[in-house]
Amino acid sequence: MIFNSLTYLIFLSSIVILYWSLPLKPRLYLIFLASLVFYGFWRVEFIPVMLISVITDYFLALKIASSERIRKKQLLILSLFINIGLLFYFKYLIFFSDNAIGFANLLGITVNPILLNIILPLGISFYTFQTISYTVDVYRNQINPEKNFILYACYVIFFPQLIAGPVLRASEVIYQFSKRPPFKWEFIVVGLRRIIYGIFLKVVIADNIAPLVDSGFSIPIEILSALDVWTLGFLFGFQIYFDFSAYSHIALGSARLMGIKFPENFNFPYLANSPKDFWRRWHISLSSWIRDYLYLPLAGIKVGSQSLGGLEKATLNKNKNKPLFIAWAIMGLWHGANWTFVLWGVYHAVVIFIYRIMLPITSKFNQNLKLFGGIFLTLPIMMLSWIPFRAQSISDVFYMWSKVFNPYSYASLGMKENTYLITACLLISIFITWTVKNKLLPIFTKNKKVVLVCGEILVFSVLISLIIIFLRPINQFIYFQF
Amino acid sequence: MKSNNKRTVFSLLTPLLIGSLLAVISLNYFDSKINPELNFEEFALGSENTSSLEFVNNIQVHCYDLNNVNKCLEGYKNSRPDEEVVLWLGNSQLHSINQMKVKDLTASHLLHRFNIDNSKYVITLSQPNANLQEHYILFEYLMEKLPIKTLVLPVVFDDMREDGIRNSLLEILKNKNIIKILNESNIGKKIYLNASDKDSTGNDLSALDGTIQEKVEIFLNTQLKSYWSIWNSREQFRGQLFTRIYFLRNSLLGINPSSVRKKIPGKYLKNFQALAAVLESAKKQKVEVLLYVVPLRNDVKIPYNIDEYKSFIEEIELLSKSSDTRFLNLENLVPSDYWGTKASTSNIGGQELDFMHFQAGGHQLLADIIYKELQKLWNGGNEYDF
Repeated sequence: MIFNSLTYLIFLSSIVILYWSLPLKPRLYLIFLASLVFYGFWRVEFIPVMLISVITDYFLALKIASSERIRKKQLLILSLFINIGLLFYFKYLIFFSDNAIGFANLLGITVNPILLNIILPLGISFYTFQTISYTVDVYRNQINPEKNFILYACYVIFFPQLIAGPVLRASEVIYQFSKRPPFKWEFIVVGLRRIIYGIFLKVVIADNIAPLVDSGFSIPIEILSALDVWTLGFLFGFQIYFDFSAYSHIALGSARLMGIKFPENFNFPYLANSPKDFWRRWHISLSSWIRDYLYLPLAGIKVGSQSLGGLEKATLNKNKNKPLFIAWAIMGLWHGANWTFVLWGVYHAVVIFIYRIMLPITSKFNQNLKLFGGIFLTLPIMMLSWIPFRAQSISDVFYMWSKVFNPYSYASLGMKENTYLITACLLISIFITWTVKNKLLPIFTKNKKVVLVCGEILVFSVLISLIIIFLRPINQFIYFQF
Repeated sequence: MKSNNKRTVFSLLTPLLIGSLLAVISLNYFDSKINPELNFEEFALGSENTSSLEFVNNIQVHCYDLNNVNKCLEGYKNSRPDEEVVLWLGNSQLHSINQMKVKDLTASHLLHRFNIDNSKYVITLSQPNANLQEHYILFEYLMEKLPIKTLVLPVVFDDMREDGIRNSLLEILKNKNIIKILNESNIGKKIYLNASDKDSTGNDLSALDGTIQEKVEIFLNTQLKSYWSIWNSREQFRGQLFTRIYFLRNSLLGINPSSVRKKIPGKYLKNFQALAAVLESAKKQKVEVLLYVVPLRNDVKIPYNIDEYKSFIEEIELLSKSSDTRFLNLENLVPSDYWGTKASTSNIGGQELDFMHFQAGGHQLLADIIYKELQKLWNGGNEYDF
């Protein structure tokens, strides 16, 4: 089910009303069934695929907890094999077979292309990561396996986070499902406010940026100037941010309506003052997953179990660069079965690698220089990383990047004037929003409550009007395809 | 949300409730002010320009989009189905008359009349700011529907700055034959790829294609539209909003029709490639083409970079030569007396020069010269009197 639709709003309202009228046990069954319905609204036939992952890890986790060391490891490997196998089959088989055939042909071995028609089940990258983290946490003795299947299944397939995250940890969610908190109006109000922000960002901002991005990337790349490449990087960066953070707002708000609290997934990432800071602010749940279940084990470091983002633990380790590049390449591949995504991951690895080298020098700078200079440098570097995320091929990416470093390429403009204007307005609006949220709101909350309430009335009346005008499932959330 | 922690539920809920109420009240207010007939693509023409979709002997011969084009097709089939068709594609210049008076006629009407005795049936299809990519798919689409003998195709520097396929034409891209034809050219492939993921159902449900939710969403939307007029007026609201933003931009940045509009290389190239594809396809299908550069207001400084405009004309002329197509440069055809002004497209108000739409006298001149050129085209260079 798509969030930005009437269907979802009616579905969510019905579920929330039923949820608060039921006792604990039926409530869990309600969430379980509602999540299956939610998923089935896309394609019923892929529900079994999801349940295979859920059921497998339920039983394997129970077995792991009661097994001896060697057996434990075997069971963990079996779990990883099944989950990664599903992911590989549905998401990567075509990619790897095409590459293998291409490679064979390159070596002079003639292999005919295999025609595979595999549909990627929605959310598979997200729910397999959750089931993997659950089993690994049990294996690491960080959590006890959940004996109640429905309770455990609710953690994996809870509909607000099923399709595009946040990637949750069992320790953050299962305990919340196992209690029956009394109804509080606060849940409803806070949840609704988050949902309104989210739908606004999606249908009013992200969906209206999308045609500009599509149009820009459809221009023959030979014609694009350096300024066009920058603009497209920034514009797509804004689109993906508003799109994905919108999804996270709606997911967090929907869960909150039922008294469930998810960790934040975004925190003004484009105001990060370093690459490290960026990854503590962008898709926090995924970056912390990659850190805890891939990067730190590769670097031989003991891990925590919370979606807090960041990679600082690893910087203390000597063996840190090889795992860095491997983890980032896999992170790239997780986003899509294409070499452009791998390039995106490696780009970030390179940026972090350089950042680490520079750290001893930059740490001597004064605070303001570090903060503002950091933002000023990090923002364009991060925005350039979106080029491989959106471009058609690796050669296109390098061609576009090369323009940025060619001074002669700054002399012309290849897109409509509005594109540059809108990009500039969006950039300014992010800084204004951050200032209002972090500097002005606390002052008004403390001293001028009437002004705050009046201001919010105005803001909500505009947001709700625009949502009514623009609400339509015209575009999927970008992260659905991952 | 740190700031929320210190606030009571009441202070969080009040803005939400009053804000919702205000939103509904204000939308209701604006809903009562909206003219449901207003076409926003036409809105920018200003009140001094009148759109006129022509009827000859009660048969529609000038249409503007895919929904409307069926009327032109029916008119042809029900009146003179044995005649060869002359298709005239274009932009709002063809259907707008500046300061229109009673009995004024557009060039499309006149050209249709001139050709009745020649047993040629002229159908015109024009859309505001139509780009050549749109002309390309329309041409291919109409080739399937009509025995087109001649194509009259204007090229407009302004429209070389436009891109993409408007929603009202997306239905064409579901036609398998058209897809096949488009796939034969690089630009056709691009047009199809860029446009095929958009929705043309008018239900705005592109993200739900083929899902159970699509059916539910259509049902809910239909129900809501029938019970709540605001839901029905949403497209109008969106149009109004974008128009206001466009006006605001023009006011803030001092943009008006006299402002210099630069060539946009990416869009220019795509449109140029689309033009080449039309000419090639027409040649293959033995359709004669009359290509012309549209009349332009020349009593004031033109709103283009003069070098870019000159090279645009040279490139079009070169292309027409290489494809053996008859070419006319009509930029100086319409004298200054026939040009006018239009209402401002900014919040400042007043009048602005109109560089695109001329008065009825200009339409007469345009129809005359196109007719003469068609005669030459059909008769191997010999003119006929009319």
